Amino acid sequence: MSFLDDPKGAFADLTRPERWVLGVSVAFMLFLLGALLTGALGPTYFLFLVGLAGMYALLSFGLNAQWGFTGLINFSVAAFFGIGAYGSALMTAESSPIAGGFNPLVGLVVALVVALVLALLIGIPTLRLRADYLAIASLGLAEVVRLVVLNERWLTNGSAGVRGIPSFFQGWPVLSTFPETMPGLRLVVIPGSPIILGTSFWQSLLNVLLVLTFAGVTFFVLRRAHQSPWGRVLRTIRSDEDLARALGKNTYSFKMQSFILGSLIMALAGVFYTHLNLYVGPGDLDPITTFYAWVAVILGGSGSNRGALFGGIVIVTIREGTRFLNDVALPIDPAPMRLLLIGVVIVAVMRYRPQGILPPQRELIWPSAVDDRGTPETPDSGVREQKGGGGDE
Amino acid sequence: MSEGALPKEDAVLRVDDLQKSFGGLAATDHATFAVERGTITGLIGPNGAGKSTLFNLISGFYEPDGGTVEVNGTDVTGMEPYEVAEHGLIRTFQTPRKLEGMTVREAMLVGPRNQPGESFIKLFATPGSVSESESANLADAERILEDFEIDHLATQPATDISGGQMKLVELARAMLAEPEVLLLDEPVAGVNPTLAKKLKEQIRRLNEQGTTFLLIEHDMEFVMDLADPIVVLDQGHVLTEGTPEGVRNDDRVIDAYLGGGT
Ligand SMILES: Nc1ncnc2c1ncn2[C@@H]1O[C@H](COP(=O)(O)OP(=O)(O)O)[C@@H](O)[C@H]1O
Ligand SMILES: [Mg+2]
Repeated sequence: MSFLDDPKGAFADLTRPERWVLGVSVAFMLFLLGALLTGALGPTYFLFLVGLAGMYALLSFGLNAQWGFTGLINFSVAAFFGIGAYGSALMTAESSPIAGGFNPLVGLVVALVVALVLALLIGIPTLRLRADYLAIASLGLAEVVRLVVLNERWLTNGSAGVRGIPSFFQGWPVLSTFPETMPGLRLVVIPGSPIILGTSFWQSLLNVLLVLTFAGVTFFVLRRAHQSPWGRVLRTIRSDEDLARALGKNTYSFKMQSFILGSLIMALAGVFYTHLNLYVGPGDLDPITTFYAWVAVILGGSGSNRGALFGGIVIVTIREGTRFLNDVALPIDPAPMRLLLIGVVIVAVMRYRPQGILPPQRELIWPSAVDDRGTPETPDSGVREQKGGGGDE
Repeated sequence: MSEGALPKEDAVLRVDDLQKSFGGLAATDHATFAVERGTITGLIGPNGAGKSTLFNLISGFYEPDGGTVEVNGTDVTGMEPYEVAEHGLIRTFQTPRKLEGMTVREAMLVGPRNQPGESFIKLFATPGSVSESESANLADAERILEDFEIDHLATQPATDISGGQMKLVELARAMLAEPEVLLLDEPVAGVNPTLAKKLKEQIRRLNEQGTTFLLIEHDMEFVMDLADPIVVLDQGHVLTEGTPEGVRNDDRVIDAYLGGGT
């Protein structure tokens, strides 16, 4: 049943946390809309925030595909993100110490290939072993990648970082000149505070479309994968790897696939970041990114794709909200404030909802198989959260 | 020596001189026996005799120190568990394995081997074949649950059912993997008598339909009633093998049990 056909019924069908999240999201969107209309929030900055939210959503999707699906503990989210960012930056930027000047699509492919190779390098020796080996090795990997980027100046420009990165759409027909050709607009919603939409707005709009495409495709792929027999094997591994082995599953291969898939998604987030920020530096590989991704996944509900999306948005809200608070209301240094808030959120979630806000709720069976069988969907209270088929996840 | 005394013409599983030590302890000590196709073979022995270790060696979970394992005439020694499974041998565990966050029928669907939907590529390249096999597997799962008279549990969370029901689900799921030989490690341990009877009937029925069983069981009544022949393991080696009566009346077997494996 779709929300459009029967909004009341669809709403009644949601679980309590789902309604709660829906309510908060609507309120938050109204708040943002108000801020936009009154001019308190610049439209270009708003779009930048949306881009950032998309980026964090991608990072959370990636980690969710590893930890949420399969139970793989990856502490090098920042490294794969950095590989994506540097990979595309070094291929496309004017100031690149190596190749440079390539079409951003080439950068995208190169970044993903490097991330793939790195994932294999770390996965091959560790994924046959107990889960903790990957955790330790990935912790080391993150630091190695960061130090290489910082010190190998011939390759990465070192601490100076990479500048002069083009937009992702450079060299594309129409889109590469789209921001310049669009007329500047001046909207007056509230007299006295006009909203101006200029070149940078159109550029940001393109970026948002880009990240929505990345995140949308990723979400679609992950959702289908999660509901499939493939995803079921991953969930079995997460729950009890020996059982999966006894039933004839090549768990090493499945873990590798899950690890690579997640790493590629993280690198994709990095590629987007490069063309959003137009500058990358070694600071972008700081472990805080890994930390944020973990918080987002745990907060949203491990194993849930929409939970990861939700978690990613919460992270950006906290990250940028503290900055905003600092500018406007309270002169508190945003960095410690941010950590404090995240700490409070984690403690609250762990205490009151350890499975996360939006855990995967519905039974995950390939949807058309359940529909074909016409299985009656009359779950009693005990299985309320397990009902079959075409759910959100 | 009475080891492997019975002639086995068509052995689906052959264990030859298998050895495994943990530190100084020889958990499996030159064990040799075979399982004839079509039988329900029992594997008994006092606590700590090495029965579970033997299962782990056969199914590829442990690497033997010496000896060989043959499934369907293929040497599977040293292979990964999934490769052993590909040769037709499936095993269950002594302690039931719970699958968190899955419903019973979902947990059942892990059973079938080589599902097209287990290939990431096929999910996107040929979703039609994935749907087809998923529908067929779901139908199979529900049919087996009906056969086992637990179809009312199908949409229950797999973690919410009783230990006995869990054992039934495990057996049902293992059957979905279509094994030629199924190794059951204490299938009725901790199961109430009613469910145990049901399990016994199911094992017998499945055996009549062609599945070979090798089962470890502590409940003597259960194993004596169900299995023939019975292999007796003591301190890692095969003490004897014979019919239930033969084993029951064998002094060495009585000694082994009374001696408590010392
Ligand atoms: N992984 C292991 N590490 C060390 N010792 C083990 C291990 N597995 C089994 N053992 C030992 O091997 C012996 C046989 O155990 P097991 O095969 O579980 O016996 P059974 O199933 O017949 O009761 C026991 O003494 C046990 O302590
Ligand atoms: Mg045992």
